[in-house]
Amino acid sequence: MSALELIDIRKRYGSVETLKGIDLSLADGEFLVLLGSSGCGKSTLLNIIAGLAEATDGDVRIGDRSVTGVHPKDRDIAMVFQSYALYPNMSVARNIGFGLEMRKVAEAERIAAVEKTAKILQIENLLARKPSELSGGQRQRVAIGRALVRDPQIFLFDEPLSNLDAKLRMEMRTELKRLHQMLGTTIVYVTHDQIEAMTLATRIAVMRDGQIEQLAAPDEIYNRPATRYVASFVGSPPMNMLDCTFADGLAHIDGTLSNIALPAHLHEVAAAAHHITVGIRPESLTLADASNTKFGIDAKIEVVELTGPELVVTATIGKQRLTVSLPPRSQVSVGTTQRFAIDVSALHVFDRATDKRI
Amino acid sequence: MTSNWITTRAWLLMLPLLIVMIAIIGWPLIDTVRLSFTDAKLVGTQGSFVGLDNYVKILSGSNFQRSLITTFWFAILSVSAEMVIGVLAALLLNQRFYGRSALRALMILPWALPTVVNATLWRLIYNPEYGALNALLVQIGMLDSYRSWLGEPGTALASLILADCWKNFPLVALIALAALQAVPRDITAASMVDGAGVWSRFRFVTLPYLAGPLMVALVLRTIEAFKVFDIIWVMTRGGPANSTRTLSILVYQEAFSFQRAGSGASLALIVTLLVTVLAVAYAALIRKTAGAS
Repeated sequence: MSALELIDIRKRYGSVETLKGIDLSLADGEFLVLLGSSGCGKSTLLNIIAGLAEATDGDVRIGDRSVTGVHPKDRDIAMVFQSYALYPNMSVARNIGFGLEMRKVAEAERIAAVEKTAKILQIENLLARKPSELSGGQRQRVAIGRALVRDPQIFLFDEPLSNLDAKLRMEMRTELKRLHQMLGTTIVYVTHDQIEAMTLATRIAVMRDGQIEQLAAPDEIYNRPATRYVASFVGSPPMNMLDCTFADGLAHIDGTLSNIALPAHLHEVAAAAHHITVGIRPESLTLADASNTKFGIDAKIEVVELTGPELVVTATIGKQRLTVSLPPRSQVSVGTTQRFAIDVSALHVFDRATDKRI
Repeated sequence: MTSNWITTRAWLLMLPLLIVMIAIIGWPLIDTVRLSFTDAKLVGTQGSFVGLDNYVKILSGSNFQRSLITTFWFAILSVSAEMVIGVLAALLLNQRFYGRSALRALMILPWALPTVVNATLWRLIYNPEYGALNALLVQIGMLDSYRSWLGEPGTALASLILADCWKNFPLVALIALAALQAVPRDITAASMVDGAGVWSRFRFVTLPYLAGPLMVALVLRTIEAFKVFDIIWVMTRGGPANSTRTLSILVYQEAFSFQRAGSGASLALIVTLLVTVLAVAYAALIRKTAGAS
């Protein structure tokens, strides 16, 4: 049985189509992250799952039951909002228990459920307070508690961590992961933060222009991005994209005399595409040592930034930009030309005509 | 620049305004207090000091008591009706529908009209010979023959209250509509997911956002309703048989119709005192509401 199934979901506002046919199926206990930049349709999709927006076309099925046209309260879902959306006039306890109160759960049972939830989230001492007396992180916990207490089939999270500062965001991220492992709930989570997506998800749906660009496990998204867009969206610093022309087993970097030897199994398709983009993650490049200067690409170093755990080098190769992540104590100097060695097994090659992976 | 000079300059800058305020508010007020302890007539005699006589007479007289009750009825009924209708109108105008902006603009019209115009309009509507209300009620069969709505003690006050509601509910509606737009959409969405129905959503989620602004509207409207004069003066002049004679009408009659400036002044001061008590009580209530949310 699938917990959630989306069948050809479409959404039109006037003549603008914001969702162009979304299909996906989610198993029980999965943590799906809808990842994309703003305006890609991810929040609209979440609202359609919640029932807060109506799809123009298509069907939403929750637990093998079609819920198209069903009111949000009858969909067996709970939602955590970006703004937390706590009721300002109610205590924390009442905020958490409000959903049960509205469902006419007996008071004793309700109090027990609220207390149990508060214990899981470690907010027992806050139950009597009003939301205005809480910090951002505490509010977030209460918002999660309000969803948790109802024990729904699916949890929906709409950018829940984006209002928190960086340190708190990391803490809450770990907390969410812990909750998911502990409770085994099914979660659909919207974010534009690729780190959140990579760390939390069991599967990521990278969305762009109202379509799913790639739906896969985080590892696959990172190591085998299906399109150029996915490749450049996930990873920090982003993947280098070098426009090349393929000939004789080599990808010749446009505007330079440098070239990259491609693995043999790619030759045939690369030759067919001719114009290709070679993607190299910044961490797949290393300083070429003196004994091995024959292989590699030469780039002129422009900026060197020490982030702490790594040294980020920005260089140019022809008219194209190259970012390299090096160990912090690497010896490089601005203005010089440096040869970088490439881990050929970690190359990503895209057809420039279709932007698809070869 | 010393702080002393800054203070002096501030006073100097405010001086013209202070002089004007003392001349047009302070002096008349003090003179009214003086007048209220005399038996002065509007024309002729300056009057002589009579102590608390005016106050004793007014407070023990049946005219004052009856007017006080009439005023209370008018204020309570018109203001509560305005609050309910105003909030309902705001909820309606907060929905998305075609022509919403036009309707919002249209709603302000009764409130924007001068009271005298509004009162005259309603006098026409209530007219016993050719009034629209009579015509409507007779044609739909709710009434057998035309009535004099403003001419019968039993219906005059109710008719006035209806006219006052029509004029003043837009103010409440505007304030409520502004407050409704401050309700975050996420909160409404969260309450829908939580399973709150229409009534629960209003009661537990929307109303707390409305409470503060509505309290302000309530205070403004109650104080105004307590002082009501113009709409009644144009429509009934306090009649028939004094059934719509509110306190302000009584003050006017006492001071100008009967030309008893002395007791008119004391009556006016009593009304002022009542309104002040109301205002202070409400101010405390507003502070409490603001503290609670």
